[in-house]
Amino acid sequence: MDSATLIQTLLNSVVTSSVYALVAVGLAMAFGVMKMANFAHGEFFMVGAYTVYVLYQLGGFNFWVAVALAIPIVALLGVATERIIFRQTGANILAGFMATVALGFVLQVAVGRIWGVGLMKRIDTPYMGAADIGDAHVGWQRLLVIPCAIAMLIALRYFLYNAKLGKALRACAQDPEAAALQGINIRNMTMLAMALAGASAGLAGALMAPIAAITPYMGHGVILIAFIVVVVGGMASIGGAVIAAIILGFIHTFVATLTDSLIATMVGVGFMALTLVVRPQGLLGREKS
Amino acid sequence: MLLELKDVWIHYHKVAAVKGISIAVEEGGIVTLIGANGAGKSTTLRTISGLKRASAGEIEFAGERIDRVAPEKVTKMGIAHVPEGRRVFPYMSVVENLEMGAYLRTDKRAIEKGYEEVFEHFPRLRERRKQQAGTLSGGEQQMLAIGRALMTDPKLILMDEPSLGLSPIMCREIAKIIRDLHQAGRTIVLVEQNARLALALAQKGYVLETGRIALEGDAKDLRENEQVKRTYLGM
Repeated sequence: MDSATLIQTLLNSVVTSSVYALVAVGLAMAFGVMKMANFAHGEFFMVGAYTVYVLYQLGGFNFWVAVALAIPIVALLGVATERIIFRQTGANILAGFMATVALGFVLQVAVGRIWGVGLMKRIDTPYMGAADIGDAHVGWQRLLVIPCAIAMLIALRYFLYNAKLGKALRACAQDPEAAALQGINIRNMTMLAMALAGASAGLAGALMAPIAAITPYMGHGVILIAFIVVVVGGMASIGGAVIAAIILGFIHTFVATLTDSLIATMVGVGFMALTLVVRPQGLLGREKS
Repeated sequence: MLLELKDVWIHYHKVAAVKGISIAVEEGGIVTLIGANGAGKSTTLRTISGLKRASAGEIEFAGERIDRVAPEKVTKMGIAHVPEGRRVFPYMSVVENLEMGAYLRTDKRAIEKGYEEVFEHFPRLRERRKQQAGTLSGGEQQMLAIGRALMTDPKLILMDEPSLGLSPIMCREIAKIIRDLHQAGRTIVLVEQNARLALALAQKGYVLETGRIALEGDAKDLRENEQVKRTYLGM
């Protein structure tokens, strides 16, 4: 690998890691509070991408306005998912699984019906051109994913560790019953977690819209990777999800550049298996007391 | 009466854990529920604080029915619950745990006073205010759980097995704290397997046996009761 390819691959790895982190953090946070996974999380990402497609490409809005709107739109989808699905399923894991898988299909079909299934949607790149770093050549559109993701993650972290509501959310994840005894409304906290999960997945999808292939089914690959990241990080651990996202982002990008993306996925899953053998609770997972 | 349970039944699925008990708690007193494992003591406390639903009967707190009220609302009404096994938030600092106790309160000055009160009762928590709660010793976690309950500014404190798993020295310390709280005018319902400790602290006691009240009365009478002596005090 020459130095240009190396630099380019390194930068691509950081971009990939940023997207993985955004998607996985939401999945981990919602899991932390509900002890249930949202299998429609990949479709949240897809809806984020479609928001940009519809508003920016079809609607003529400014790109950043479209990205900014994707955040509350998908956050609302998260809130709706909590109210319509998780509030009904309660602690029934099987029901939650089936209902959210179904929600994923519903969203895919709905989007396909409205905007078509066939060819992938093309989005005009808002930021043409590329940065020349050494001999490497990386598109601006890719690079700007990095600061956006970092800003979102820092904002989330600040919220969870400094805001009263954020602390209450952490308390719920650690012991929901004890949290209820302090006067914290668990349902509202679950809704908040789902809103934040939607917001971060929506942002990830929106940022990827000009780079990725937009189809109703683009959530599939995303949720698969998000689950691997969250399992490696330690199911409910947000910090673990970020670290695992970085590791897997690098693994996938490098292996895909050197060989192909199928082998990259295999190596990623292999890494997950290895992690689970060495640390069954995940990198930063917490053992049940 | 500050708290009154009238003929309360509690079921786990079809099995009755509590079979029609009536309990009355006067303001400013310590009332204890003693009994063996599985007698229904914790279940009773969990039902008072709304974590579990009573299947029949009434629970009244300060003149209002609370037996259909959600736990966060019960807390708002003034009942704090120090749960069995302490249940502090393990990955939050001591201060953050206390802050969660004050979750429903908005008066900043009153909250500051609350911290001061807790740190006066538990100087050790002040020393460890930045430490993660999960890394505290069992006794310190118990102090934190009690401190967290105090931060809700409760009219009534439910304590579930505060002495469980603690060293004799720590037990004495917890007993002293319960006495201090009582002297400060707090009303306490104390559930204990350590009947000796409980009857020494309380003014009034109820003996639970498989979901029914087998005996009730002044704590000092219960201490002298032959049956209680034999079964619960090991004399």
